[in-house]
Amino acid sequence: MAELIDLRDIVKVYGTAVRTTALRGVSLSLTPGEYTALIGRSGSGKSTLLNILGTLDRPTSGEMRVDGRDVFALDDDGLAVFRNRMIGFVFQFHHLLPEFTAYENVLLPFRAARGRATPEAERRARRLLERVGVSDRMDNKSTNLSGGQQQRVAIARALINEPRLVLADEPTGNLDTESSEAIKGLLREINRENGTTFLIVTHDRHIAAGCDRVIEIDDGRIIRDFRPAEETPDETWAALAPCECRERIRGDLKPAAIPPGPR
Amino acid sequence: MFDVFVAFRFLREGRAQTVLILTGIILGVAVQVFLNALIIGLQASLVSRTVGRSPHIIGTMPDLEPAAVLPADPGTRTLTRVVTNEGSLKPIRDGAAIVPQLVKLGIFRVILPAARGSGFILQGQKSLPVILLGSDLEDTDRLYDIRRRLTAGRYEVGADSVLLGKDLAAKLRLGVGSTVRISLPGGSGDLFRINGLFDLENQALNEGWILMPLSRVQNLFGLDRGLTEIELQVEDVFTAEKTAADLRAVFPSIRWRSWQETNASLLTALQSQSSSSYMIQLFVLLSVTLGIASVLAVSVVQKSRQIGILKAIGTLTRHVGRIFIIQGAVLGLAGSILGVTAGWGLILMFQATRAGDPSSFPITVSFGAAALSVFVATAAGTLAAFLPARRASRLNPIEVIRNG
Repeated sequence: MAELIDLRDIVKVYGTAVRTTALRGVSLSLTPGEYTALIGRSGSGKSTLLNILGTLDRPTSGEMRVDGRDVFALDDDGLAVFRNRMIGFVFQFHHLLPEFTAYENVLLPFRAARGRATPEAERRARRLLERVGVSDRMDNKSTNLSGGQQQRVAIARALINEPRLVLADEPTGNLDTESSEAIKGLLREINRENGTTFLIVTHDRHIAAGCDRVIEIDDGRIIRDFRPAEETPDETWAALAPCECRERIRGDLKPAAIPPGPR
Repeated sequence: MFDVFVAFRFLREGRAQTVLILTGIILGVAVQVFLNALIIGLQASLVSRTVGRSPHIIGTMPDLEPAAVLPADPGTRTLTRVVTNEGSLKPIRDGAAIVPQLVKLGIFRVILPAARGSGFILQGQKSLPVILLGSDLEDTDRLYDIRRRLTAGRYEVGADSVLLGKDLAAKLRLGVGSTVRISLPGGSGDLFRINGLFDLENQALNEGWILMPLSRVQNLFGLDRGLTEIELQVEDVFTAEKTAADLRAVFPSIRWRSWQETNASLLTALQSQSSSSYMIQLFVLLSVTLGIASVLAVSVVQKSRQIGILKAIGTLTRHVGRIFIIQGAVLGLAGSILGVTAGWGLILMFQATRAGDPSSFPITVSFGAAALSVFVATAAGTLAAFLPARRASRLNPIEVIRNG
């Protein structure tokens, strides 16, 4: 299958006087329909990678190809249009606009590109709100919704322009267990129904274990890239274990796919 | 379209802030409109009081330049002086021929060919100086508005009957129907019957003026058919100086003086009044602009999260800027329209409280002035939004999104 997104040797360096290297040559391809978890410790570079995938940030070097085109050759407005059509964002803190109702929030990405909502877009917005289960609250201001409901609206908003890739940054990081479970299930269902590609940044090993593919990044490099379905449950859990535990596990089990990192 | 939608929503949801800044703009514009109308009304009333019932341009014979008898010599200075026969009048050369030409121009409200000379009236040992104005009574009324201000008698003059200022009559203890002897500097004189008394609300005129037919003055002073002056009124008083300049070019033998020339101090007063009013208006406008700018600057900081999200979902940079420009323009437009209305209300109230006061004067807001206020305030609002808009459009979405 043709790749949806192809990252090659992405390097990102911050600062000029004091240089901090966040990514040290990341190459990565995402296949259409894939449901991928991106894991790694804080400061590992996963947020930087997510920002570059979302075209919110430009790499210092390397390229990102979509449909054979180098995306970062586009100017800022070109990137905005690309982002609007291709990518849906679900953030940790939902990031709905409090000035607008749930329904209006869902339509924002459509209107940002086309000005006015078409009847078809309005129908789609209502259908999406129904799909994520908050159609009864669609005329509420986002501040009048619970955390779980807000995140559901945010998911509907991410999907309004029928993006090919949805980037979710800790989508359950700010929710209670029950809402967290529901959101996790919802994202997976949407992936299966629409074949939308997902990349989810998460600390939640349960989410990671349920993904088609898990990519772990550390110190600006991909240190592990495996498919839980192809490993035994024990191997998967060993791979997903926190670093401190891995030392002890290492002797007993063969860790999944790529050997563990230097630590 | 999207930017308009978001801008209006930001304004609507920032209620307290929007109301506060709108109130500021309304007050500022209302004061500006009120002040402007007041100054314009005051000036119009002042000008009309000063020159409304007097000639705007007067044409007379220029003073004679004494002819130098000695040849010019750089080493010596020659003092010469012209001695004229006291009481004799110098008529305007071709005066009678010029009047029809002025009529033909069709730019004058009133053209009053007149003969004016001085005489006196003896009262016991004292002699009271008087001015004899000979002119057509109808035209005189159109210029000086005398008929309405007659306090006694009829508005009528003849070869042996005149109109007198009321203060002069009071001094002489004479009334309508009495006879008065008017003497001329040469010693001649005649008896006249008083037909009526007028009150021109000016002591000098009320004590000194005597109106009689043009031909009578011409005949008393031996002017033949000559005129000593041509008094003119134009439609717009402020064009008088320009018209006078044109007349100087066309009829160079006559000395044309506009009211601006003879009332230079009034003109200076009006100008300094205008400039102080402009200064106040400028500062009002400046504070309105700064108010809008600071409210929008705060708004950009408050809404930085929203701006970041809008950019992340693919809003173009220029649209993000426009969201704030539109807010500035809308604040300026709405605030100034309401402000003009409020200013107009202030004027009506001001008029109502002064109704019946004889010193009151009419104040009105011209549509043009109101439209200008709205235009300037809207432009100022738009301009004020530029810096905040630039800040908004340069905002990096990553920073605001990371920090939640």
